[in-house]
Amino acid sequence: MSKKLFIILGFIAAILAVIIAVTPLSNLAVAPIIVAFLSGLIVLFLSKKHKTKTKSIQYIFLLVIISLILTIYKGVFSTTKVGDTEQLEQRDEENLEDSKEILEDIEIDEDF
Amino acid sequence: MKHFIFVFIAFISLNNFAQNKTIAAGEKLVYTASYNMSGLLTDIAQVKMETSKIKTSKSTLLRLKCTAVTYKKWDNFFKIRDLYESYVNPKTLTPYLYKRDISEGGYYKFMQYKYNHKSKLVKSLKRKKNKEGKTWDENKNIKIGASTKDLVSTLYSIRNMDIHKASPGDQQNFTVLFDNKEIIITVKYLKKETISTKLGSKECYKLALSIKGSDILKGNNNNLLWLTADDNKIPVYAKFKIPVGNGELKIVSATGLKN
Repeated sequence: MSKKLFIILGFIAAILAVIIAVTPLSNLAVAPIIVAFLSGLIVLFLSKKHKTKTKSIQYIFLLVIISLILTIYKGVFSTTKVGDTEQLEQRDEENLEDSKEILEDIEIDEDF
Repeated sequence: MKHFIFVFIAFISLNNFAQNKTIAAGEKLVYTASYNMSGLLTDIAQVKMETSKIKTSKSTLLRLKCTAVTYKKWDNFFKIRDLYESYVNPKTLTPYLYKRDISEGGYYKFMQYKYNHKSKLVKSLKRKKNKEGKTWDENKNIKIGASTKDLVSTLYSIRNMDIHKASPGDQQNFTVLFDNKEIIITVKYLKKETISTKLGSKECYKLALSIKGSDILKGNNNNLLWLTADDNKIPVYAKFKIPVGNGELKIVSATGLKN
């Protein structure tokens, strides 16, 4: 019974880890990776105790390894570069020109 | 009670006649915004705060500009290109024109406030894009209080406060016009604290921010701002609580400072 529980937990955590590892939030995949790995170990321990073979352990570990590799790869190689800012710069300039025109009509009171 | 009223009036008068001793034209502050969940940090965007001089035929104004740009890895998921600007009186930081031009993951919004401080009115313009990509405008006249400012000029006004005269526990309210509504932001001075930043180890004023009657920035000192305890009062670090984990704003570089 407890074995089944850990298999399910392990699978959920492992799949979650892979999903998070694919997104830019890959750093956060570490938590489900640890959960999945521990559940995998517990399942392994339980099946050794009962002398049964369980294929799901391999799948859990495979998913864990995939997400771990992705996380580490992203952590090492991804640089924190900003995306393209051309459009923003254009909007910035347009706004500045527009603002200058508006400000020409506004009276600046030194008292405020 | 008497004491309280006195402090209150003193603060209000300070707020109205506060001279700008902190912010100069040509200042550039760069930050990294990140998301933190139980110690795991993920950088999300770069935030810049810049000032520049703007000359019109009659006067000179200070342009306060804030931009937020997501890092490349985020652009396919949620692309943010935000521009906030405020044109203020360089002596008192009173705003005359405010613009907010935001583009967040396909959502576009433009807000413009034209202030008339004599009649205490703001002409507001809201521009949005509909599904077909066409824009539509909404004009409104809003009555404001005597010291109401916009978000950007409030940020700079917080820096211009005389914190060295305050003692821990003192607080000041700022009225901010946001989305055509006036909200009250309370800034509380907690204590002096030395923190390590990219600019080196700095002695800072630790401030707590909260919005009255809102869930976004809750009280309980969850939203903190560290300003260097010198004449420049550079915001070097900010921490704000969100339902899952917390957000952080860390300084990367600061150039063109006044003092």
